[in-house]
Amino acid sequence: MSAPSDDRSSGRTSARDVAVWDPLVRLIHWSLALTILLNGAILEEESNLHEWVGYAAVGLVGIRLIWAIIGPQYARFTAFPPSPARAISYVRSVLSGDKTVHLSHNPLGAIMIYNLWLTVIGIGVTGYMMTTIRFFGIDWVEEAHEMIFNWLILSVALHVAGVAFDSWRSGVNLVRAMVIGRKRVPQGTKLE
Amino acid sequence: MKRPKRIAKTKERRATALAGIIILQALCALFFIGDIITDFREGGHLDDLHLGLEALAAVVLIWGVIFLMVELRRLQARMGDMDAGLMVARGQMAEVMDRFFDDWNLTEAERDIAIMILKGLDNESIGQVRRTASGTVRAQATSIYSKSDTHGRAQFVSLFMEELMSGDFNAAGAPDDHQPRTTRVSVHKLRAE
Repeated sequence: MSAPSDDRSSGRTSARDVAVWDPLVRLIHWSLALTILLNGAILEEESNLHEWVGYAAVGLVGIRLIWAIIGPQYARFTAFPPSPARAISYVRSVLSGDKTVHLSHNPLGAIMIYNLWLTVIGIGVTGYMMTTIRFFGIDWVEEAHEMIFNWLILSVALHVAGVAFDSWRSGVNLVRAMVIGRKRVPQGTKLE
Repeated sequence: MKRPKRIAKTKERRATALAGIIILQALCALFFIGDIITDFREGGHLDDLHLGLEALAAVVLIWGVIFLMVELRRLQARMGDMDAGLMVARGQMAEVMDRFFDDWNLTEAERDIAIMILKGLDNESIGQVRRTASGTVRAQATSIYSKSDTHGRAQFVSLFMEELMSGDFNAAGAPDDHQPRTTRVSVHKLRAE
């Protein structure tokens, strides 16, 4: 019954769970993934539902942006500022074998998050334009809509690859973290 | 230790439900805003009852979303506090118990029994758990009381209650600077090591 008391103060002996993603962040993440899947692969392009799902996607990004201002610590802009300089220094430290775990998004991942949000908004705006009388049937709007969608698919692929890579590198299962909200951090890793 | 866990589970479920409502309500707000913009484009005015009600609904919905977001944040913060508090209480209480037991030179069996006594099991239940006769447990319990210099179960438990109520647990986990009290002098010697 009596375990060695050395590890008591740090909780578990091998790894500890840190709650990072609140339920709103997680729900928005998976809902947004669902809307992209629906509109990209399943729904008829000209259908009403395609439009509504698109608006919902933009709405989800909107809620997330508000949450990034008034939400909890790890969900805030301040936890993952859009800083290319930090992203570059992060890449350098990864290349040199640094194993620091970032509790919020890592700096390179953060750039991808902003990219994904802007891309979804871009698709939403061009998609909306296609429904207006002024821009209906104008080629460049439709082309832009599809170009940005292609960019989104590329970004999602990179995003998934980045998640897989960072999970492997840091030993923190990021997919699990986005499902249950907690990052299981191996003992003795540096946190940021 | 089960009950706080269950409370945490309930709170987590509530937070998830709250997040779901926030998303749905925000999307509803968006729908109304879109509808209002369309109506305006088609030449509507705010004094139009239909449009006015829609605008009111949109404003209320947005206000509700912000309110729920603040509420969710509070809930998250409370959950975080509870977690930290639990860990501190749990971790340090276990530490305190260990040190007491060390100090009294309890055997492994006696430690086991002492913990079960503190958890409120009677001799018979302890015997069942340990697969020994309740008479054996009684003998071992008596040995625990004599080693801890207490007169029985109630006083033994109260030793730990006193530790809990003393209020000098600090979050930093440095109980070394406690003022020694009569019953704990030897324990503090141990701590100083």
